[in-house]
Amino acid sequence: MQHTFASSEGPVEVTLARDGEAFVLEGQRLLQHNRGRLHLTLRDGRTCLAHAAKVGDVWWVHLNGRTYKWERIEPGSSGAEDEGGLVAPMPGKVLEVLVAQGDVVEAGTPLMVLEAMKMEHRIVAASDGKVVAVHYAAGDQVAQGAVLLDLE
Amino acid sequence: MANRGEIACRILRACKEAGHPTVAICAPNDAGSLFTEMADQVVMLKGETIAETYLDQQQIIQAALDTGATAIHPGFGFLSERAEFATAVQSAGLTWIGPSAMAIEKMGDKMTARQTMRAAGVPVIPGEEVEEVDEGMALEALRQAAERVGYPLLLKASSGGGGKGMRAVHDPADFDSAAAGARREAVAAFGDGRIYIERLLSGSKHVEIQVLADQHGRTVHLGERECSVQRRHQKVFEEAPGPTMTEALREAMGQAAVAAAEAVNYVGAGTVEFLLAPTGEFFFLEMNTRIQVEHPVTELVTGVDIVREQLRIANGEPMSCGPLMIRGHAIEVRLYAEDAASGFLPSIGPLAVFRPPEGPGIRLDTGVREGDDVTPNYDPMLAKLIVWAPSRPEALEKMRRALDEFVVLGTTTNIEFLRDLCDAGPVVAGSTTTTTIEELWPNGWNPPADAMLEEAALLAAASAETLGLHRVRTRISSDLTDGPASPFTTLNRRFP
Repeated sequence: MQHTFASSEGPVEVTLARDGEAFVLEGQRLLQHNRGRLHLTLRDGRTCLAHAAKVGDVWWVHLNGRTYKWERIEPGSSGAEDEGGLVAPMPGKVLEVLVAQGDVVEAGTPLMVLEAMKMEHRIVAASDGKVVAVHYAAGDQVAQGAVLLDLE
Repeated sequence: MANRGEIACRILRACKEAGHPTVAICAPNDAGSLFTEMADQVVMLKGETIAETYLDQQQIIQAALDTGATAIHPGFGFLSERAEFATAVQSAGLTWIGPSAMAIEKMGDKMTARQTMRAAGVPVIPGEEVEEVDEGMALEALRQAAERVGYPLLLKASSGGGGKGMRAVHDPADFDSAAAGARREAVAAFGDGRIYIERLLSGSKHVEIQVLADQHGRTVHLGERECSVQRRHQKVFEEAPGPTMTEALREAMGQAAVAAAEAVNYVGAGTVEFLLAPTGEFFFLEMNTRIQVEHPVTELVTGVDIVREQLRIANGEPMSCGPLMIRGHAIEVRLYAEDAASGFLPSIGPLAVFRPPEGPGIRLDTGVREGDDVTPNYDPMLAKLIVWAPSRPEALEKMRRALDEFVVLGTTTNIEFLRDLCDAGPVVAGSTTTTTIEELWPNGWNPPADAMLEEAALLAAASAETLGLHRVRTRISSDLTDGPASPFTTLNRRFP
């Protein structure tokens, strides 16, 4: 009952303990009721019902009005990290390319303007760097997750 | 029904209640959507883009004629405020459920509307209209007008709406790129790049008055809605009555709204939007010549079914509502498929779980159900959650409970943002303004951190994986290889 999940600070190893029918982790307990209903007892003694659904490798969990996403890393997968490229957050069309290869940019510099869902969205440099490659031109359609530019 | 999604469902239900048979139109990428199941007939449109489907006037009118429809309801957005469509519908011998083409034209062109209102004695926001069409000349004229109006200012598309073609400019250095961006967005969205400038009145409330006018010479107002809480110039939290409204101000604004409607011989349901300055002065913003997204809050506090009234009015009957009575308090929030923690960027994905709240005083207007996919093809609004309670504090309590109960898994939504908003000081106090969201979260909103709940969610994810909850029911359904999948076997199915 060991699983690995992805987090912003790297992979998280989870080892569930059993207590009768219940699963236990860090002082919190989960009991499955019938039909997949998950009943939780939190560390502070409160109880709540959780809803969970898996989409791709990601478990979406709703409890206490909050929704969390935990991506499961399948055993044996390489756990690929992002290569630092800037990716399209959704499918859309490139309206404008604001930088060229070789440009040195500061964090926060707008790099590209995308149109999706009838609105304009700016793709902004997350950190200081140099534009190594621009993969799309104005007018191009891009798919979600497409690498738009490479920064170094 | 010349629309889709949530508003199509709302109107098709009203038609069913009134005993009118209905025809829906549907783009190929909308096949199977909830609204298509609510109509008596569905006409599949040809084409892929919005322009080729829901904006194709010829095709829509032909669908009405082919099916023997007698009237067209445009809903909101799409063709609802296109005067030439209203004309084309009537020329085809069909009833247009809306105001006259002339009224739409005068109000739809925001620059003309400002001029008409000035003439009718309705106060408008200080600013200037620029009629230049040529790009270079328009930008130069705008630059000069901006100097006269003064900063901060708002650039708005004359054909605009919904925040498209709109830019706030605080620093003259940003003016050129903002003006070019606003023009480009306006040309793309409306085919009209004309822009006007308004002084940005910060600290103002957005208050709008619902009006109804029938063909028997009666024009009434149904009181106000306050819709100050906006992000990207789109409303997310609306309420009625306005938390700071007084009887005297309601009367004054109501009279101004009725005067605005009468100035264009308005017929049907419409909304006159005002900015209410901290001084108590109010200024005409624009008139929306259609049913409005946030109409349910007015319905809940006045008891008037605005869509039913639209149908009556279009049918030549007098409207049925009596003197204005406002009872209790209603709040609406707009659920968007968007990532509030990433600058409200729209999100897509499956609605693997979609479980709305229930209970007394709760209304849900939606066009989706569990199992649907949120695509980038249309507006990312998933649903409107509306609550009613005897008082404003109780309405807020009910909204908090309802949002906590709302489960959407598989697509990122703004539910937690809306829930956080219900606890924000200005919202609790009723002192919200159009800049409240930026003031509350100047560096963007992030969900409040809660390590205990996050770990509990991790426990749930790991337990669900161990229990194989994502497999249980899909295995059952894959065993039943013949015939359509039972709805029971597809619950909790794994996506994709």
